[in-house]
Amino acid sequence: MAFNYDNYLRTNKMPTLWCWGCGDGVILKSFIRAVEKLGWEKDDICVVSGIGCSGRFSSYVDFNTVHTTHGRTVAFATGIKLANPEKHVICVAGDGDALAIGGNHTIHGCRRNIDITLILINNFIYGLTNSQTSPTTPQGFWTVSQKVGNIDPTFDGCKLAEAAGASFVARENVTAPKKLEKVIREAISHKGFSFVEALSNCHINLGRKNKMQSAMANLDWIDSITVPKKKWDALPEEEKMNKLPTGILKQDTEAREYCESYEMVKEVQQGKRGKITQDDFAKKI
Amino acid sequence: MSTVMTAPANTPVWVDTARCKACDICVDACPAGVLSMQQEPTSTLGAMISVIAPDSCIGCNECELSCPDFAIYVADKKEFKFAKLSKDAKARQEAIANNGFRLPTDYKEAN
Repeated sequence: MAFNYDNYLRTNKMPTLWCWGCGDGVILKSFIRAVEKLGWEKDDICVVSGIGCSGRFSSYVDFNTVHTTHGRTVAFATGIKLANPEKHVICVAGDGDALAIGGNHTIHGCRRNIDITLILINNFIYGLTNSQTSPTTPQGFWTVSQKVGNIDPTFDGCKLAEAAGASFVARENVTAPKKLEKVIREAISHKGFSFVEALSNCHINLGRKNKMQSAMANLDWIDSITVPKKKWDALPEEEKMNKLPTGILKQDTEAREYCESYEMVKEVQQGKRGKITQDDFAKKI
Repeated sequence: MSTVMTAPANTPVWVDTARCKACDICVDACPAGVLSMQQEPTSTLGAMISVIAPDSCIGCNECELSCPDFAIYVADKKEFKFAKLSKDAKARQEAIANNGFRLPTDYKEAN
């Protein structure tokens, strides 16, 4: 008996609609293994996804799932978490979903440090709509919307989340499924906003015009731009610019979680305590 | 209950061909040359995965972990005695990887 993935899948939806070799499947698999290791009940988990290839994530898993509007995964998840603080809420969004149209929701989810996990599947392109420039498309790449080469500077999702106040930030790529599983496991069990950027391939819509027509060629390129965090720290400044560090980049277990603060609001409303003042918070400004 | 995850008798690695999309990832991930693509006219990409050398499987699970389509499975280490990684297996893997993830038709084992 091999690992029983079908236990966590809606098998009537198999095979997946993703293209051959799509990294989304590997991320889905790693997520399922992470949940199995933690031993959580299926009914205690809610998966929220937006629009894009990553949006199909919620259709395939047999948890409580919500397929929401474009970019609003974190907004929906915030509501779900505040109503059910004891459940585990996991958002899955693509790079266009969470960094472009949903950029503001991502920033404010991080700022509140609410206990949800955002798995950002970064394939460097708008894949579902056929190769438009996304916030993470590298400069100089061919895209449908910039056919002479992309000139837009790129976003670093992890730096964004770190600066906005997420208490757990990590990056991993799909060529290392064991590490990806470990990072997702730590992220979903972390209390506070956890941001995991999973670098994925899109050889169909990113690769076909950028000399990476096969899944393996695209994965090799992702391998060549990532370096484990420890090695990245030792690199000289000019090389750091062109490499992305992988692994856990930030882990803060001290930061105050939003649902805990929200309990105070409930207590005020129930007349159990006086109004909230600045003394209730360590950080004053 | 028999599902796709239930290991067939004496099989280290098996494939659900209804789910496989022939993306080559597992063939690249295998260190022991166990897997290879083979021509299959009815498949969308004209190829299908096949287990060509089950005796060489070392049970590293790399193919199962990196398969995006839940199509390939490896037996549990408690249920099946896997082989050790041999020089022949490594050579076969290199030949497969250099030939577009297909075993060369004229390929001969060293011994």
